[in-house]
Amino acid sequence: MTLVDDLQALLGPDRVHSHPLELLVYAKDSGVTPGEAVAAVLPETTQEVAACVRTAARHGVPVVARGTGTGLAGGAVPDLPALLVVMTRVDPPWEIHRGSRCAWVGAGALNLDVSRGVEELGLHFAPDPSSEAACTVGGNVGTNAGGPHCLAEGTTVAHILGMEMVTASGEVVVLGGAAPDPVGLDLRGVVVGSEGTLGIVTRVLVKLTENAPAVRTLLLTFDSIRDAAATVSSVIGDGIVPAALEMMDQPTVIAVDAFTRGDLPVGAAAVLLAEVVGLDAAVDEEARTIERIGREQGATSVRVAADEAERTLLWKARKSAFGAVAQTAPDYFLNDAVVPRTALVDVVTEIYAIGDRFGVKMLNVFHAGDGNIHPLVVYDAREPGMTDQVRAAAEEMMRVAVAAGGSLTGEHGVGLLRRDLMDLVFTPIDLDAQARLRDAFDPDGILNPGKVLPRGARCNDFGMIPEPGGD
Amino acid sequence: MNPTQAQLDACVTCGLCLPHCPTFRLTGDEVASPRGRIAAMGAVATGTLPSDEIYAEMLSFCLGCRACEAACPSLIPYGQMLVGAREQLAKDQPSFPGWLRRLLAGRVLNMKWLLALVTSGIAILQKLRVTRLLPRRLGLVRGLRPLRVFPHSVLGVHDHTPAASVGSVALLAGCVMDEWFPAVHDATRGVLQMAGYQVHSPERQQCCGALAAHEGAGGQARRMAQRNVSAFAGYDYIVSDAAGCSAHLKEYAEWAEGGESVAERTRDVTEFVAELIDRGLLPTFAESRGEVAMQDPCHLRHGQGISAAPREIVRAAGYTPVEIDPDGLCCGAAGLYMVYEHETADQLGAKKASQVKATQLTTVVSANPGCEIQLRAHLGDGYRILHPIELYWDSLSR
Amino acid sequence: MLKQELARLARGLLADPIPGAPEAEFTITPDTGEDAAAILAFASGNGLRVRFWGAGNHQAMGNSVPADILMATTRLDSIVDWQVEDLTVVVEPGVAVADLEAGLQQQNQAAVLPEVPGTATVGGVVAAGLSGWRRLRYGPTRDRMLEVRLATGDGRLIRGGGRLVKNVTGYDLPRLATGSFGSLGLITEVCLKLWPLPPEHAMVHVEDAEQARKAAYRPLALIETNTGATLYLSGSREEIEAQAERVGGDLVPGHCWPQPLVGDTEAVLRVPPSDVGELVARLREADIDFQAAHGVGEIRIAAEVDQLVELRHAAERAGGALVIVRVPPEIDFDPWGKPPDGIELQRRVKQAFDPRGVANPGILPGGI
Repeated sequence: MTLVDDLQALLGPDRVHSHPLELLVYAKDSGVTPGEAVAAVLPETTQEVAACVRTAARHGVPVVARGTGTGLAGGAVPDLPALLVVMTRVDPPWEIHRGSRCAWVGAGALNLDVSRGVEELGLHFAPDPSSEAACTVGGNVGTNAGGPHCLAEGTTVAHILGMEMVTASGEVVVLGGAAPDPVGLDLRGVVVGSEGTLGIVTRVLVKLTENAPAVRTLLLTFDSIRDAAATVSSVIGDGIVPAALEMMDQPTVIAVDAFTRGDLPVGAAAVLLAEVVGLDAAVDEEARTIERIGREQGATSVRVAADEAERTLLWKARKSAFGAVAQTAPDYFLNDAVVPRTALVDVVTEIYAIGDRFGVKMLNVFHAGDGNIHPLVVYDAREPGMTDQVRAAAEEMMRVAVAAGGSLTGEHGVGLLRRDLMDLVFTPIDLDAQARLRDAFDPDGILNPGKVLPRGARCNDFGMIPEPGGD
Repeated sequence: MNPTQAQLDACVTCGLCLPHCPTFRLTGDEVASPRGRIAAMGAVATGTLPSDEIYAEMLSFCLGCRACEAACPSLIPYGQMLVGAREQLAKDQPSFPGWLRRLLAGRVLNMKWLLALVTSGIAILQKLRVTRLLPRRLGLVRGLRPLRVFPHSVLGVHDHTPAASVGSVALLAGCVMDEWFPAVHDATRGVLQMAGYQVHSPERQQCCGALAAHEGAGGQARRMAQRNVSAFAGYDYIVSDAAGCSAHLKEYAEWAEGGESVAERTRDVTEFVAELIDRGLLPTFAESRGEVAMQDPCHLRHGQGISAAPREIVRAAGYTPVEIDPDGLCCGAAGLYMVYEHETADQLGAKKASQVKATQLTTVVSANPGCEIQLRAHLGDGYRILHPIELYWDSLSR
Repeated sequence: MLKQELARLARGLLADPIPGAPEAEFTITPDTGEDAAAILAFASGNGLRVRFWGAGNHQAMGNSVPADILMATTRLDSIVDWQVEDLTVVVEPGVAVADLEAGLQQQNQAAVLPEVPGTATVGGVVAAGLSGWRRLRYGPTRDRMLEVRLATGDGRLIRGGGRLVKNVTGYDLPRLATGSFGSLGLITEVCLKLWPLPPEHAMVHVEDAEQARKAAYRPLALIETNTGATLYLSGSREEIEAQAERVGGDLVPGHCWPQPLVGDTEAVLRVPPSDVGELVARLREADIDFQAAHGVGEIRIAAEVDQLVELRHAAERAGGALVIVRVPPEIDFDPWGKPPDGIELQRRVKQAFDPRGVANPGILPGGI
């Protein structure tokens, strides 16, 4: 029996795709690199997921878990031809624990649906990536997803209390729970952000956050990115940790304005979207402080959202940035690098210079509050040599970020995209240690092989034995 | 024909369309998502993969509700691309089931005498109370209003206003609208006359061609559109009280020579009347007559960006509009979809019905005939389902 | 032979036995991470068991660990790099928590580590996975672990994470190291995320903890002890006053954290937050000294050993645990209780860092 035969016997023919057109549709996520799936399955329960993993293992086929495929680093795109386990249907009825402010949801539940579902309880799920309306909680767990509000709330990992996971051997384990500090090693913590290489998470116990009684959202405009970034530093230096501090440069604002038809300040060199949440007394004061600091740093205008409708519009503008950019050219390459906040301005300046040097057009959107930059390179892949220029420029940007004390990715993940740059940030001994950790979960390397760590990350692959003392 | 390379390239695969797509919401399957369909269209258009039954199935499964368009940050004209791809598919795969659908949509709906015959037939079945014996696939019959055995048409009517008229309106008679929803036309005519418009329903008009276009019968759709361009020449406005039709008329630039002129002058009755109310040319009733549940036809909300207008009319009529679905998920009617993909249509129809039931209201307002049929078929007895213009006319005529 | 080799290798790093520390043939105080790694490489290669020591405050936690070498962090005591503007600090494990927080306070910043640490070290608190009372607002310590350097059980000096407040590059080793109780090796350096300290601090004594929990908006802490419940607040003056009004109580300026429990037996109950009220009622009835963190699910208790058995059952039934902080040495009481699910995974992960099993061997549940 072939792999597809076995899978169809498990799930029925409707939930197993093997036709070339169907597999083509599953070849890509929201990133730039396609991969090859030998089949795609849509399980509905944890047991089905486990059975699919075991079946794939029997046939020697690697397994790649996928949510709605909105990842930007190729995490859900097979590196080697693999079985795609699509998790969107793994969405059993939620178990909401009001008193403990947490809920068990399926990995296939959509991020924003979770927040909407618990809204009447006065709660929400804090991680809010731009793709929140479309991405799954399972995907958030895989990438340790960020989002603008992670500045004050922390990334996804700070909001995961537990998980049910199918291991590489097709067994089911439950890691963590609603009680604090589960005993033993924090495997739950390490699985978050592991990009599907340590197991397939089927259910997640998410922490729910209280909705703030009041919110103030401000849009500040500046004549230079330097002024905007200085404002960010000063605000945080003043002891305020806003709920969000987002920056967009002029080309981005222009693109987004067309989509939202929202009267955005297309003349500014940089705009800063700042949000503070909390009690009325607190947010009024903080908003005033941010305005004052902004003006001190040269803000040309400060607009405070008058009501929820205006607030929603301002945020929609920010969150549509990447898609709206597509109006400018057929292809884009979205970079994700992170630097110490204090290095932001210098790195951004260098990034623009890199764009000029490589002759590529750029837009910039960033989570300015935590130094997470998203240089967005817009291009036409059909232009000869353009794709290579873009990749080279992107790599140069990451080198610059790392040289400034930063790292490769703040929230999108390493995936395929940054795998081969891991040696910019880690020594071979570091990478070997991470490879051993991965092998502890997946000795045969069937779970999303080729992601996160470069090939040959295990020193033994090259017959290298580390010296005592780690040198 | 096939979507253009520029249209296909516009998709950056961001996936923001997925949660708005009813078929994706039902299946969780990329194959049943706008992003997936665009990828498939691209593969077939470039010849990377052949146009086969799987491709046909993918395109057939799409409702054409265009909720994805409203969510797409790249402003991709998905509706247009779908129609073009289906037309190309019809050429590449002239198969039996598709042939029948195109015939139905492209020719049958345009044959007034045949429609009249079918209407009489259904009317008789209704009087004999045997409609529930019809197969599930024809479940839409259960969603119809009581029909007349003897035909009736609005074609040729010419309503003059007693005072000097403020303009001329050509009323789209429509195919099923004319035979099955005459009361809506009556209401539209009444309201527009009251506002001082001359309302004429030109004899030589045809079915607008929306269903033909959606089924891939492009040649037919173009013929119908061309005839309508001449039939509607000379009127200040062309008004339709079926959202599916007004949406299609607004795209006539793509379907006929001189089509832009029709497109520019087309108004859905809801937006037209809401504006008149806004300008004080039609009255607003202050008293509270109760609450009604609001259903947004996809071709009104997503296809034309109109959702405030029906609510304004409902309020002006003295009622309070109640929301049933913030996302505006398709009811599953989608033209002939409810006949040909009736299982999915039933799932969506049941879901929409439960949204209505959650409000505990028994009056539902919908600005499109297909939606009304689907709602009635799934809500069953005890519900009053009507066009907002009927609600308003009702208040006006009291 | 072996001992001579070790003595030669560790020359300059040998120290006198530490008072109160468990017996071990050698007491070694590495000066650098490289030192620690070299010793561990040797120990691992020769089957010598190594036990780690900070200031000895939490040594009674976990299964008892026999040791040939006691490795103390006494000389790993520098604050390596404090980036004030970036709100990060790199610190060696031997730094006392109290010293670190006092230093950070000079610039109105905090690492939000346990508020009444005694002599506890940063390394000790991180390895034991301990969090402060303010975790209701700021989250547990692991949420602030940005980067870790670790001398593994087999003597590799590795790094994971990064000195950045936001980072998903590679696996989250800092988080794994937190609460690892030395089973992976010696933590030789950590980078912690800092929070700015709000200007004002106050408390409100409340009658009804459940009501206060609902009324207050994200307070620092809500702690109930035998004498009553207290809401801890910080922020601007206006904010604190607004909070007090919501809760309905009088403001007492400053923060007064519960002092460590006395007694020879201390444990901590860890339960879903919704179970705190019920357990508190039970503890009151049994007249057991307790300190309960509402909204978190952590309750510290000083009880008799026989009382612990029942309490552990109750905690485990609720999906939690009762973990021993200290018991009299002659008492044999399982410090952990029910081992976690996926014990095989735990074992394999431990082996990935300590293949010969010399680093705090057996300390974790399941004898890992």
